[in-house]
Amino acid sequence: MIVALAQIAPVLGDVDKNLRLHAGLIEKAQKEKAGVIVFPELGLTGYKLRDLVGETALVPGKSRPFAELLKLSRRIAIVVGFVEESDAGHYYNSAAFLSGGRILHVHRKVFLPTFGMFEEARFFAPGRDFETFDSPLGRTGLMICRDFLHLSAGYLLQAGGAETVIVISAAPGRGSAKGGGKAFATSRMWERMGETLSFFTSSFVVYCNRAGFEDGMAFAGGSFVYSPSGRLLAKAAYAERDFVLVEADRGEVLRARRTWPWTRDDKPEVMLQALQRALLNRHED
Amino acid sequence: MKIDCAFVERVLCAFLREELGKAGFRKGILGLSGGLDSAVSAALAARALGPNNVLGLILPYGRAFSGEVKDAQDLAGRLKIRSRVLDISPMVDAYFRLVPTLNRTRKGNKMARERMSILYDFSAREKALIIGTSNKTELLIGYGTLHGDLACAVNPLGDLYKTQVRMMAAHLRLPEKFLRKKPTAGLWLGQTDEGEIGLRYEELDRILYCLVDLRQSRAEVIAQGFDRAKVERILALIKKSQFKRCLPPIAKISVRTIGHDFLYPYDWGR
Repeated sequence: MIVALAQIAPVLGDVDKNLRLHAGLIEKAQKEKAGVIVFPELGLTGYKLRDLVGETALVPGKSRPFAELLKLSRRIAIVVGFVEESDAGHYYNSAAFLSGGRILHVHRKVFLPTFGMFEEARFFAPGRDFETFDSPLGRTGLMICRDFLHLSAGYLLQAGGAETVIVISAAPGRGSAKGGGKAFATSRMWERMGETLSFFTSSFVVYCNRAGFEDGMAFAGGSFVYSPSGRLLAKAAYAERDFVLVEADRGEVLRARRTWPWTRDDKPEVMLQALQRALLNRHED
Repeated sequence: MKIDCAFVERVLCAFLREELGKAGFRKGILGLSGGLDSAVSAALAARALGPNNVLGLILPYGRAFSGEVKDAQDLAGRLKIRSRVLDISPMVDAYFRLVPTLNRTRKGNKMARERMSILYDFSAREKALIIGTSNKTELLIGYGTLHGDLACAVNPLGDLYKTQVRMMAAHLRLPEKFLRKKPTAGLWLGQTDEGEIGLRYEELDRILYCLVDLRQSRAEVIAQGFDRAKVERILALIKKSQFKRCLPPIAKISVRTIGHDFLYPYDWGR
């Protein structure tokens, strides 16, 4: 199956304009015979929303932009990032997987960065789960940006049987080292995890970041796909808009798992017991 | 503190293009002092927007800085950007005839604000946004005039230390003389930044880099061999100039107040 990575720069706080941007690229990906197109974190709204969170929030399956995206998803699977408003009136930084005119899964970002330049927990409620679900890409798990940098989250998707991990991101670039490969220093961090997680869980890792600027911060781009054997299959441009197509052959998951039986030999029940004990014995720092 | 200059150039040019574009502008305008920072800002703007879309205003006070005027004009010619010289002495002198002073800092600040006032008028006249030229070193130690040279619409250099701006100047192949120039705020003749601050930029930047970028404590910085008095002085300068890096506080009365809990991004809707 061909995976399309839409490394876009959304308009901050304008869902209608961003929906048109999405629709244009969905059409383009479909023409290129892609089976799925992945958009960045908060692609429908832009990232640094602050008080715009409430004004741009959508209810999955109910808000008008969803109707349009669901219609488009009859021909190509779509992973989209948006502000979700729950029945309880809470706002989440969410990702939805749409396929065949249905919402297959909504993931709410669990780890909300709130330090330094980040203030997500000030405006969003945290999600509380990492679930996997069946999609045209096999057993699939979704993560949003910072979720991916927690090894534990990747492990939970592995324990849930994920063959494909899709990460949508709005990661600003920071640090410029000489000889940094024409990228922000922080881009390396994401690639490190992509290579590691794909290899040690024998899964595809699809990472879609964004580009453009918001309030002076530059988004680092550099979206990528790693194969289940930890091989880099594609990488988008750093710090600029891009659109990348990559063939992801599901047979590679099985081939990787025959070579290195990490998933066969995993022991989630041992992890669970050990975690419970560790939590019981845990003391304040 | 070394930077990948080619990558930084690419990011800063994209920043200028996109920020101006989002605000509905194609043209940029900036004050050319004849010094290093405005030369680097102008070179970046020329590359980002095209030389025809950049206007450099050269705003000397009388004839005291004729060498700087010539350097600024040479630079504009070299970058193929438009430029115009306007002498600010009639406006500044008119004011100080009414309110005389011998205080050269007040005079210098008045000149910086006169230049700002002209830049903003030309911004409206030319439908061009003002591109700032303040670097990270100056911003951190407060070495700039509030509502004077600190005023701008976008600032491409504000996260580059002076020594990094020099690296960018070399990368952008600006004439050697800009790299050799003694940095000066130009508030009066013979003034140099390093003379006034009492520190060489190389050392100042290294101490700032440790304190700010690496988040080291004062004890950690001193333990590396930096002079205690210098470190203390820099910390005091940073603290004393915080007001220049913020909007003025608004007294909170209501349940939703600008700056406190009315929180919208600068790029709202862009």
